[in-house]
Amino acid sequence: MRTPDSPAVAARSLTRQKARLLPGTLLSFTTVTHPPKGFPDRPRQIGLIELTDGHRVLGALSGSAEPKIGQVVIPRMHLSRVNAEGLRLYEVVYELTERMAETASETKEFPGYILALTGPSGVGKTTVSLLLTKMLSDFTTKVPIVTSRTPKEGDDQEYDYVSTREFERLEKSGALVAWTHLPSESEQRSYGYRKNDIEAIWEQGKLPVVVTEMQLLQGLAGHFGRRSILSFGLLPPGASKRAMLSHLLHRMRARGRETDAQIEERLLNAQADLDYFTRAAHLFDHILVNEDLDSVLKVIKGHVLELSKA
Amino acid sequence: MQKDISLIGIGQTKFGEWWGKSLFTLIEEAVDSAILSAPCSALDIDFIIVANMLAESVNGQAHLGAVASSLLPHHPPALRVEAACASGSIAVHTACALLESGRAETVLVVGAEKMTDASGDEITTALMGAADSEKDAPCGLTFPGLFGLVARRYMHEFGLSRSQLNLVSARHHLNALKNPFAQFRQEMTPEQIGASALVADPLRLLDCSPISDGAAACILSTKHHSPMRIAASQTSTDALSIADRPVLTSFSATKDSMQRALDEADCATSDIAHVELHDCFSVAALIALEDMGFAESGEGIRWYEQNTPMTVNASGGLKACGHPVAATGIKQIIDVSKQLQASGKRYGLAHNFGGVGATCCVHILQHSPHAHA
Repeated sequence: MRTPDSPAVAARSLTRQKARLLPGTLLSFTTVTHPPKGFPDRPRQIGLIELTDGHRVLGALSGSAEPKIGQVVIPRMHLSRVNAEGLRLYEVVYELTERMAETASETKEFPGYILALTGPSGVGKTTVSLLLTKMLSDFTTKVPIVTSRTPKEGDDQEYDYVSTREFERLEKSGALVAWTHLPSESEQRSYGYRKNDIEAIWEQGKLPVVVTEMQLLQGLAGHFGRRSILSFGLLPPGASKRAMLSHLLHRMRARGRETDAQIEERLLNAQADLDYFTRAAHLFDHILVNEDLDSVLKVIKGHVLELSKA
Repeated sequence: MQKDISLIGIGQTKFGEWWGKSLFTLIEEAVDSAILSAPCSALDIDFIIVANMLAESVNGQAHLGAVASSLLPHHPPALRVEAACASGSIAVHTACALLESGRAETVLVVGAEKMTDASGDEITTALMGAADSEKDAPCGLTFPGLFGLVARRYMHEFGLSRSQLNLVSARHHLNALKNPFAQFRQEMTPEQIGASALVADPLRLLDCSPISDGAAACILSTKHHSPMRIAASQTSTDALSIADRPVLTSFSATKDSMQRALDEADCATSDIAHVELHDCFSVAALIALEDMGFAESGEGIRWYEQNTPMTVNASGGLKACGHPVAATGIKQIIDVSKQLQASGKRYGLAHNFGGVGATCCVHILQHSPHAHA
């Protein structure tokens, strides 16, 4: 049976720890009276630590005093044990300091901020926003998009469907903070965000997340002010514009949400969108290439956690 | 539920330490009593699902579908599912999917675990397989250690005291007195619980569910009917490692599966008369009550401080009834059905999770005593 004592497991764990040799804050700790086979048979103190870059790690603690939640810890290399084959296994242990972290990291407030994800059709905005709001479910909520278009198969509960007349009424009464009309040959669509939806999320102390496009982003920036928006642009992978567009085409065909005529039209829009990233660079805080979902999420998560402390 | 699925047969072994019984014997015993209690014959069973977590590493036995199938004269098709401590309920969930799809009409679900064949060290390492083997295990954490972290954080955030936490296991032990299938049928005072040996500070020995042998089986059918219907079967998952979660004191998989189960059964928390929840460690019972919406955050302990109309873990729960890992999820459904039968009430709920809440499965049973009488 594989045990934590296996040299390969210990080596991988050490590599991961060394890549992130940062101080952090103690979120919780325990003392395991009888550690698993392979570890010295004496009580072992282990902590869950939030590092300064926002990542959380589990690691052994060292220090003579009783740990406290919120205490600052610093990493140190340590000879953990010598295994049965005589291999010396090292690990990173976290040394307890006298200092307490200044802010409790569990309560986060985002008064007046909005997180916006912008990008061409098919770049993966919906996927990123779904995973992000799931990963940070206690701090973020997705803002529903009000639309006058009819529901389609493949829609991910992101839309709030209203009639064209109702949409006009909302727009005229000032209930919408941003809206856009996309008259086209293949479909007639209007999209917008309700002011109430966004404010309700702020009231819960959470960060509203909008999946948006250029027109709506400008509207939001106009209404709430550019500085209240943490704005991410998502680009498809590819070295050239042509490579990017072909990537989008693949994605749209694969998800099967649009007809061929709609895909063609969206590709034309996508070309304009890609240009817009350079023309309206001032509307974006960060431009990310959606090559690997995990790293995109990690970057966004890091920025969100940073924002909450500010 | 897209089909009307009835629970038509139930059976289980007594949970405990069974040196004289093998994994095979335990499975056979539970299956036999489930078939005996059903209004159909063994030959009506057209699919078997086996739930088990540890047989390869602890019993040297894989291929459990064939093990169970060979117990029946007509050898129906069989498969095995695994989702750590949630294996049992995930097996029932899989059975519901087969019944809903029409692939099967009567499914036998059996969960079994034979843990006492291995040493404590081996079991500790094997159980750690329910957590993240790359992120959680290398620092020397054990499973109680993971919940020790959860318990410490919970006590810090909500000011729960040690003497309050003692009430949880004390209540479960008291409930087990009335359960003939329970592993520990003796009363434990809160003081005894608070004085038991530390396992993973702040958790003590009597905060932890035991190592047990046992099996539980049930028969679900769309062809034969009973007053006990599966009204909802929902499952949800979360990040495997606790280092990848934003909060420690609440499990989003429980919240999510519970909400979807209530929607599916079209009922509210106030309609539920009996709950069997996953108290692998005392603190988990409190978190489960809160995540399922029976209590506000930090208030789960209220259910143990007073007597309430809804019963919680009347069987003794995992703590006192025993926790043969994959048998638990099925045993919970059996107990809820017995409780509904006895009380004549309408809705009962079973909540079962694996790992530190990385897989959760919620079942709601609906009892209609007069519908099929």
